[in-house]
Amino acid sequence: MSEITNDAAVMSALGRALTRAVQRQAVSAGNLANLDTPGYRTKEVQFSEALDGQIRAMTVAVTDPRHLGAEGGADPRRTQEASGLALRRDGNNVQIDRELLSLSKATGDFSAAETVLAAKFRLVRYAINEGR
Amino acid sequence: MSTLSSAIAASASGLDAQRARMEVAVSNLANAESTRTANGEPYRRREIVLEAIPANGEVSGDVQASGVRASAVFEDQADFRRRYEPSHPDADANGFVAMPNVDVPEEMVDMLGAARAYQANLTAIGLIRDTIQKALELGK
Repeated sequence: MSEITNDAAVMSALGRALTRAVQRQAVSAGNLANLDTPGYRTKEVQFSEALDGQIRAMTVAVTDPRHLGAEGGADPRRTQEASGLALRRDGNNVQIDRELLSLSKATGDFSAAETVLAAKFRLVRYAINEGR
Repeated sequence: MSTLSSAIAASASGLDAQRARMEVAVSNLANAESTRTANGEPYRRREIVLEAIPANGEVSGDVQASGVRASAVFEDQADFRRRYEPSHPDADANGFVAMPNVDVPEEMVDMLGAARAYQANLTAIGLIRDTIQKALELGK
């Protein structure tokens, strides 16, 4: 059986999807709260950094003592300012439609991952109950 | 604080700040014609300052939403409007009355902005609540 069809790997991937959706929601909620705060800049979750962090967190084969293992450096700052947004006169660049859209998208992503995870749990329970 | 509860707290702080902004706009509108206040001057237009609360305790791997608060309310020091109304008890020797420096259309626009932002925060809370609900269903 290949590595990826491993139940635990699938579940932890789904768990990461949930975490990421929640982080995107939190950042959008913060942006919406500061819709009219002068000087506030739109924040977003750093995707590539987040991805790197997740890849680091995965099991990495160490075949030589000089290889870097799974212990990657923790990234303390996980949000960054969004670029390419028009600045208003008060120095704020939060766009209400963009934030509401990303909030809905994150909610949808969370819902999707949750549905799959629930199905996975159902299968596990089915196995535990010996198919009854 | 977990990411989701920090998101709810941020949205709630947004609701609070926008309500305060609405209250200031409403009191400006209500006093657009008030020529007397406790200090003897006509009413001065009030303005609110919103300030982002930095996300506290952003530990690695945990994203926190930054909230907002109304940090100060100050009085607009712009000149009062002067209106010729000799019969008014507060008129000066030339028949001019100093009226509050409130610009009604400006207040209306501010109020619309506050209402829209309030609604956006309310929508955000609804979506986050749905997410929490969904997460709880995992335990069923």
